[in-house]
Amino acid sequence: MSDLELEERLKKRLEDKFGGDISEFTIQRRRRLWLTVKPERLVDMMRFLYSEMEFNHLSTITGMDLGENLAAFYHTTDQHTIITVRAKTPRATPVLPTVRDVFAGTESYERELEDLFGIKIEGLPPGRHYPLPDDFPPGQHPLRKDWKLTDAYPEPAVKEAK
Amino acid sequence: MSKISIPLGPQHPGLKEPINFGLVLEGEQIDKATVNLGYNHRGIEKAAEERTYIQDIYLLERVCGICSHSHTTCYITCVEEIAKAEIPERAKAIRVLVAELERIHSHLLWLGIAAYEIGFDTLFMYVWRDREQVLDCLELVGGNRVHYAINTLGGVRRDITPEIKAELLKRVDILEARTKYYTTLATEETTVLARTQKVGVLPKDLAIKLGTNGPTGRASGLARDVRKDEPYLIYDKLDFKLITADTCDVFGRVVVRVLETVESCKIIRQVLNYLPEGPISIKVPWKVPEGEAVNRYEAPRGEDIHYVKGNGTDKPERVKVRAPTLANYHAVPHMLEGGWMADVPLVIAAIDPCMSCSDRALVTDRAAARSAVWSWEEMRRNGIEFYKRRGVDFSKVVLK
Repeated sequence: MSDLELEERLKKRLEDKFGGDISEFTIQRRRRLWLTVKPERLVDMMRFLYSEMEFNHLSTITGMDLGENLAAFYHTTDQHTIITVRAKTPRATPVLPTVRDVFAGTESYERELEDLFGIKIEGLPPGRHYPLPDDFPPGQHPLRKDWKLTDAYPEPAVKEAK
Repeated sequence: MSKISIPLGPQHPGLKEPINFGLVLEGEQIDKATVNLGYNHRGIEKAAEERTYIQDIYLLERVCGICSHSHTTCYITCVEEIAKAEIPERAKAIRVLVAELERIHSHLLWLGIAAYEIGFDTLFMYVWRDREQVLDCLELVGGNRVHYAINTLGGVRRDITPEIKAELLKRVDILEARTKYYTTLATEETTVLARTQKVGVLPKDLAIKLGTNGPTGRASGLARDVRKDEPYLIYDKLDFKLITADTCDVFGRVVVRVLETVESCKIIRQVLNYLPEGPISIKVPWKVPEGEAVNRYEAPRGEDIHYVKGNGTDKPERVKVRAPTLANYHAVPHMLEGGWMADVPLVIAAIDPCMSCSDRALVTDRAAARSAVWSWEEMRRNGIEFYKRRGVDFSKVVLK
């Protein structure tokens, strides 16, 4: 047997359940699996990982600017293996569902996606900005690749020396 | 009785870092609590994308003043994984050594703060006096008390000489003896028991649900420790115990941390006696290939996770940091609810929060970018000017 036996088994369970909704499935090395899921199946997959596969800890959500798409990477773990579930959403209308119903402690990660990437999280109750300040210019999302520091904080005009 | 809402913070008695809690009180009892974050956002993730991998080591070290080694080690393991660099065994051992010294330093700092919040100032002063021993150790190893910067791409910067080893072993003995004394003190002293038992309770099932980690989780009976669950560096070769408590309260959090400190002393001795011969670093090309990696690390406060994506240049495409405290915040309102107002600072302090870690990611202070080291005289001059504008003149005060 290959030394990735456990990883192959995890992959098969997910593929049996979600089949065609999964793409780009890779076993990177021992204890690391990566896959992409269609956004509409994201919450189902999180629930399946949580309750059926004992991946009951969502370490964090990484936002990503992929150019045409924005993405969120959900790093779930059973403490031994990390399965990273990617969900992509078009840059023009970026929307992803909340996973709070499954992982209760993820509010700040989802607010980060809203503030820093401008991905609208459906189902997230209204609340304060996090982590940006309350008076941050609306519509600006600093971790997008096209954002520059001067967009929010313009350079002060330099006076010509007389 | 009518309910009263009290905003606690951003400046608050829990710790010297900004966070805001909204408390709804019924009499002196807490009916509801909410947490507000984001007072300390510095834009480190964006800044990391604009710097080289080497520069990022020093940038990410400044995510946190206490677990500085945790963040760089977690980040550098990701980078080395992408670059497919296998670092020497000796470098791994030195990384573990610094990591455990850092754990002692962090846990003793916390114990002091907890003692202070309890109102037991003698313990606070004793603990912080003894903590100097471990800070001296860190200075000996890395050259600095807080930002030791031991990590570099491909290994570590400094070696452990036989003299340093002897000195560390000597000091670890002192630290272990003192920590054992504090273990007895913290678990038998009636005032400590009265202030900590059944305070800030977080049941195990809730701890799992909220993603609580580190000593806070372990005090609620969660046997989770990245060092055991997914051993990195040389932790699979070391003999140490995973400490848990099942009291689920502040008392449990005290017990877990003091016993972990004793375990760290054991680990340090093992590492120093193990230290394999060989180089302490290898050359890694500055341009890191395309690829991504995600790794976890057991920081003093719990699970630290970093994600790094490389794009073939000398700068990362994306660096994501999630410090342990951010995962623990959501448990705090649950710990507070039903408790008493007087216990609030202690309960908040009991998760060992680190605000700067959580709010890591945007505003660059341009004035601060003008890097300047002030001399003592300049600092004093500035202080005098500052107070003069407020109507107090200190210029006549003579300093001896």
